[in-house]
Amino acid sequence: MNRTEVLEQVQDIFRNILDDEDIVLTDESTAEDVEEWDSLTHIQLIKAIEKAYSIRFTSREILSWNNVGEMLDCILKK
Amino acid sequence: MEINSTHFLLFFIVVFLIYYLPLKNHAKGQNLWLLLCSYYAFGVVEWRMLPLLIGVTGFYFFLGIAIARNNGKDERKASLLTTFGTLTGVGVLVYFKYLNFLIDAFTEMFLSLGLQVGSHTLGIIMPVGISFFTFKLISYIIEVHRGHMPPCQDMVAFATYVAFFPTLLSGPIDRPKPFLQQLSHNRTFTYPSEHNQVVDGIRQTLWGLFKKVVIADSLVTFVDLGWNKTGESTQWALALVALTYPIQLYMDFSGYSDMAIGVSKMLGIQVAKNFNYPFFAQNMADYWRRWHISLTSWLTDYVFMPLNIMFRDWGNMGMILACIINMVVVGVWHGANWTFVLFGLYHGLLFIPLILNGSFTSKKKVKTEGYLPSIRHVGKMLMTYLLVAIGLVIFRADNIISLGHFVSTLLMGNPYMEYESLEVSQFPKTTFFLAVLLLIAEWIAMHKKKEFALQLSEEWKAWGRYSVYMLLVLLYLLKVGGSHEFIYAQF
Repeated sequence: MNRTEVLEQVQDIFRNILDDEDIVLTDESTAEDVEEWDSLTHIQLIKAIEKAYSIRFTSREILSWNNVGEMLDCILKK
Repeated sequence: MEINSTHFLLFFIVVFLIYYLPLKNHAKGQNLWLLLCSYYAFGVVEWRMLPLLIGVTGFYFFLGIAIARNNGKDERKASLLTTFGTLTGVGVLVYFKYLNFLIDAFTEMFLSLGLQVGSHTLGIIMPVGISFFTFKLISYIIEVHRGHMPPCQDMVAFATYVAFFPTLLSGPIDRPKPFLQQLSHNRTFTYPSEHNQVVDGIRQTLWGLFKKVVIADSLVTFVDLGWNKTGESTQWALALVALTYPIQLYMDFSGYSDMAIGVSKMLGIQVAKNFNYPFFAQNMADYWRRWHISLTSWLTDYVFMPLNIMFRDWGNMGMILACIINMVVVGVWHGANWTFVLFGLYHGLLFIPLILNGSFTSKKKVKTEGYLPSIRHVGKMLMTYLLVAIGLVIFRADNIISLGHFVSTLLMGNPYMEYESLEVSQFPKTTFFLAVLLLIAEWIAMHKKKEFALQLSEEWKAWGRYSVYMLLVLLYLLKVGGSHEFIYAQF
């Protein structure tokens, strides 16, 4: 699985969880760029990503992400 | 030295002139000047605590560098240092703010178990602004540890972030990264210019002064009488006291915040936002996104999020638990009193129905309607206001006994009342009318996406804008003289 595929899959998860088909993610996207992405929906997104890839993030990993790119790096490392 | 005092005005004129005249091309000089002025302002209020402020600033400055050195190399050490720094900050706060309360609570607990213990509360002086600057320091090391910012290498800039005088005593609680970025370049004052920060700052300060001096300080007498003479007040008067207090507190604290933000803007620095029209919230979650934002967002990032991540496999129960703990921390942050614990618990419990019916994590945030809200939305806003007012009855009470007395008199009246000190007719109607006008102005400002209601747009003719400013100044001058301390100065 390459980075572009993961980005597309994560984007689909975002669209599904946040109920917004117009969301377009890039490596630089942050919560400020996606209206419905806040501290509450963040945890739902994490749970959905963990489930989709059968992985488990640590608290330290989740809290250190600055943008979608860093989240993707973390998924690809797992 | 309160921000609305003459002493502060004279002090600020000197700060401003030196900041923008001889130092205008020197970022470091401006920072050092701000730092010296901040220490002076702090020293005027509580000079004995100045060594503590300087000491903790130095400690966290070097701790930040040590954490960054270990980040990515020795993760365990970086985490240990961050935990140590966090516990030190919390320890300082507990020692100065909560130790006497904890000694009393444990003594009472032992006595209730039949164990005789001596009670020796300590004569600890609480440093002003401690709840605010410890939170700034903790925020700094966590941000460095999370890799969200590099450690600050400029000690003067760092100390200025911690002690910045407009926000030192009562917030807003600034985050290190955006604040320190602004100190990296010099601040200049050019007039006229289209979006002049200094002019906007003067406007916001005037708006804050109006809220505080004209409205909050006029409502305080009625509200205080209801609390000081509860047994001599009619039920309807107490109901009005309870319903008026949210407006008094909002005008007081948001008025202070407007002044702190306005004064900072005059120095070319944008500090954190504290309020976003909270009385137009349509549920309690929405309310907490709009009230004391710099505190609630701090706690969301450093308390609620880590808890929510930790409890993420427990479904709704995990989120409820994280919410309740977070809200109790919000309550206890205000001070060492069981009323604040109860206040936090009350708000935590109010989140349960929102979590269970899904509106807490609603995919679509609460949207504000057009200029005229529907009856349904008005109903939701009024219900939210009522829930806020009930919570603030707990918040306003001096202690649990006073709370019980107030609530029982409100619900059942006082059959033994000999003398009536407070009745509905004493309600300050003119001030209330002004407060309603102000809230209408805020409603319009919210729809125009203005930061505060006095940001009159260029659509207004100059004579119209200046007439409004002069009217506010006039109302302020008519009221000035009987000012009361800011409510949040005690926290």
